[in-house]
Parts: sequence; C-alpha cells; structure tokens
Amino acid sequence: MTLLPAAVVIVVVAIVGASAALAAFFWALRTRQFSIKQLNEGATVIFDNAEDIGTPTDQLFKNPPPDKDERNAH
Amino acid sequence: MSGTPTDVKRARATGHDQRIADEVLRIGIDASAASPTVLYLLSGIAWLLIGSVAGVAASLKLDLPDWLGGVGPLTFGRLRPVHLNTVTYGWISLAGSGMIVWLMGRLCRTEIRWPGLLYASAILWNIGLAAGSLLVLFGYNAGMEWLEFPLPAAAIIALAFVLFAVSMFRTFADRQVEHVYVSLWYILASMTWFPILYVIANAGLYQGVGEAAMNWWYGHNAITVWFTPIGLAGAYYFIPKVIGRPIYSYYLGLLGFWSFALFYNWNGLHHLVGGPLPTWAISVSIVASLMMFVPVLAVAVNHHMTALGHLQSVRYSPTLRFVVFGAMSYTAVSFQGSLEATRSVQEVAHFTHYTIGHAHLGMYAFVTMVLFGAIYYILPRIAKWEWPYPVLIKAHFWLSAVGVMLYFVALTVGGWLQGLAMNTSAVPFLDTVQQTLPWLWARSVGGSMMTIAHFIFAAHVALVIYRAGPMRFAPAWFRKAEEGAAE
Repeated sequence: MTLLPAAVVIVVVAIVGASAALAAFFWALRTRQFSIKQLNEGATVIFDNAEDIGTPTDQLFKNPPPDKDERNAH
Repeated sequence: MSGTPTDVKRARATGHDQRIADEVLRIGIDASAASPTVLYLLSGIAWLLIGSVAGVAASLKLDLPDWLGGVGPLTFGRLRPVHLNTVTYGWISLAGSGMIVWLMGRLCRTEIRWPGLLYASAILWNIGLAAGSLLVLFGYNAGMEWLEFPLPAAAIIALAFVLFAVSMFRTFADRQVEHVYVSLWYILASMTWFPILYVIANAGLYQGVGEAAMNWWYGHNAITVWFTPIGLAGAYYFIPKVIGRPIYSYYLGLLGFWSFALFYNWNGLHHLVGGPLPTWAISVSIVASLMMFVPVLAVAVNHHMTALGHLQSVRYSPTLRFVVFGAMSYTAVSFQGSLEATRSVQEVAHFTHYTIGHAHLGMYAFVTMVLFGAIYYILPRIAKWEWPYPVLIKAHFWLSAVGVMLYFVALTVGGWLQGLAMNTSAVPFLDTVQQTLPWLWARSVGGSMMTIAHFIFAAHVALVIYRAGPMRFAPAWFRKAEEGAAE
C-alpha cells in the first residue's frame, strides 16, 4: 500500500478512536459516573449483603461444610 | 434454587432476607459464566504449558547452541517466537478472557449474554493459535516481533476477539448495577482498543521505517491496551474482595484509569531510540513514558494502601499472595519502564538482555501472577471443590516467584554488564557475548523453575475440575489458620 492510502486509513482510525474515547467520557459524565455520590459508593459495588464489607472471601468452604446432597446437586 | 431472576424474586417475596437474595443472585450469575470461563481458563493453561516448554528450550539453546540445532522447527529463531506468541496470545489472553467473563457477570450483576459467541470465540482462538504456532515452527513468520503469526492465523484470532467483545458488551448493556466499577473501565477499554490495534497492525499497511514504527507502536500497545488492563482489572477486584475492604481511594482509581488511557498509548516509540525516526517522535514517546508515573503512582498507592493493615492475610490466602505479588511487580516494572525509556538508560540497556528481564517482570511477575491468583479464587467457586493440596499451591508460588526473580535479576545485571561492555570499543564483540553466559544459565534455571511450577499448577487444576483428591471443608490456605489470623 502506498503512503497516501495508509495515511488516510490511520487518520480515519485515529478520528474514530478519539471520537470513541470522547463519547465514552461524555457518556460517563451524562450517567453521573463521576458524581460525588457514585465516587463515594463506587468502591462498594463489589460487595453485597451476602459478601459484605468486612467479610474476607477467600475461605469458600470454611463453615459450615456443605452437606453431601447439596454438593452433588451442583 | 439455581439463581434465576425468578428465584431471586421468590426469595425476596417469601420473606427471605436480602442476604439470601444476593447469595442466590450471585450463584446464578456465577453459573452463567462457569462453562465459558472454564473453557477459556483450561485453554489458557494448556498454552501456558506449551509456551513454557518452548521458552525453556529456547533459553537452553543460548547455553547449548548446538542442541537440536539440526532440526529446523526447533531452532532458536522459531522456538522463541512460538514461546512469545503462545504465552501472550495463548496463556495470558485466554486465561485473562476467562477471568474477564467471570468478573463481567459479577460486576454487572447479570448473567452472561450470548455465551454461544464465547464458545465460538474460544474455539476459534485455539485454532488460530495452533495454526499460527505451526506456521511459525515451519518457517512462515510474518517477520515482526509480537506479530509473527502469518495473516490467516492472525485473522482468526482477530475474529475470535471480536466475538468475545460482542458478548461482553452485550452483557454490559444489560447490567443491573448503575455504577461502572474501575475494573470494568479497564476491561471495556481493552475490548475497544485491542481489536483496533491488532487489525491495524496486521493489515500490512506499512513499509520500511514506517513498519518499524508500527511494530513498536503495536508491541508496546499490546501490553498497554490488553495485557496490563487484564492484570489491573484483576487486582482492583481481588485485593479488596478477598480482604473484604473497599479500595483505599476510589478517586485515585479513576484518576489512574483516565491518566493511563491518556499517556500509555504514546509509549511505543521509545523502543526505537537511536533509530531512523524523527527525534521529536521519540522524544514525545519518552515524555509520555515518564508521565506514566501519574497512573502508576495512583494504582500503587491504591493497591498498597488497601492491603496495608491486612498483610497478615497475605500469609494465608493464595489468591491474595499471588495478586499482591503481581500488584507490587506492576509498580516495579512500571517505574523501571519509565526510567528505561530515557535516552541515558537506553544507551546501555538497548539491544541487551536487560530488556528481556524487564518484559518478564511485566508479563510474568505482574500479569501472570495476578491471573494465577484469580484462578485460585474463581475455580473452586465454579467446580464447588476446594483446592485439595495447599502444599501444591505453596510449591507453585515459591517456584514461580523465585524463578521469575532469578530470571529478572540475572538478565538485569547480565544485560547491564553486556551493554557496558558493548559500549567499550576496546572489548571485542565475542567477549561481550561470552560474559553473558553465566547470566544466561541463571535465566534457564529460573525459566525451568517457572515451568515446573506451571505443571504443578496444571495438575492441581485438573484435580479441582475432576473433583479429585481429598475433600476439603476448610479453606486451602498456605498455613494452618490461627484463630482470627486471616480476618
């Protein structure tokens, strides 16, 4: 491919890429991803009521052991 | 209850408390991700074993140049790119995709959409890797580092990635949680960036110097937009999740992501310091490399402050130990990379084994260790079977950690001495090669340790998948827990 078509492809891709990044940024602003409320609460979305803050989760079968029927059901 | 939306509604409607409803929901989400996740993870582990053997063989050939030298497909020039491509596009990409599928369900709090695309993607991905590896072994190499696979194999992999991304974006579109967690930002960005990067780089649009520039624009950006986001997405999820504590500063997390997006993709041309490119282009790349201190510091402070006060857990939890090791390595490799980009360091380090050590600090000590930690967390939850032999996890960790550190230190020191010698005109070139030999032996020992660790890990994974070995009703920790020790 000669230089000119390659440059056209690169410029088009760059414009599309930059537009996508800007679109993502403005989408985030519009959906208030950076609002104070979401920033304050955002870190907690990986927790829920069953695996709440303060509960270490790397102890899958700590207590109580699942009974045999329950395990076999999975 | 299987965790369907109906079960969740029933649990809430029949007076079950919110805790049970959330548990039921999570079981359903995990179940929807289970099969594609396992397919990706097992494929990735298979490629890890293949890539590790190829890597050790290639390394040994630097110590024993005549070994297997008469067999074309087993010469260094073919084995080495097979190692690179199978561990990056095979192990890290496939295992990373498995982790992403599992995380996507959890972070979007919804079941995985269009899983058929994921199965098709995983199968195509494996076909592309097998075809590409065989073509390279038999001498059909596209001729650029990180882009060795010929076009047909690369096209299959590109298609596989697009199918994967479509399923993930569909799942994201149906998410049941308003906020986009920082791990999701990295995942979604990588799935937008990487297909564009991979297609453009493989399209064959460039020639001459432009091709060299594109080669390193791609080579560094593959790390930027795909491998690093995998590691960071995992670390941002598993460190707080295992400890049970939100990340230290969510503000820093998002600042880290957006500054990462702004600065990191300019870095590639620092690989061509001294090359026939406009000086301004390389200077821009060096400045951007130094600006990487901003996102790296944000991530480093966040991860380390989150773990601070819970370091006791690192002694017990396999997931946490692997992921924290990876997070610390991310800080180290990023600082080293920013400094390595400067002209004064490149004067010595360029064209030496130093660069290979740096690459392994990033791709292994950071990304691979995070992936190991993620798999130690995910797989028992899918198989409903705890890791049966904690001693194997311990062997895996220490062989991997010591192996990669030996590898890194040997090539860093040996590479630096090699660079100093090459810059001394009075030293004959052959002498600069011979003085690297002890360091190259150390590299082979380190690589062998990592390879043994991978086989131990793979055997342990097989036991979990087949629910073999002793049934454990206690967590598979590194050491016997004292009362409340890991809390």
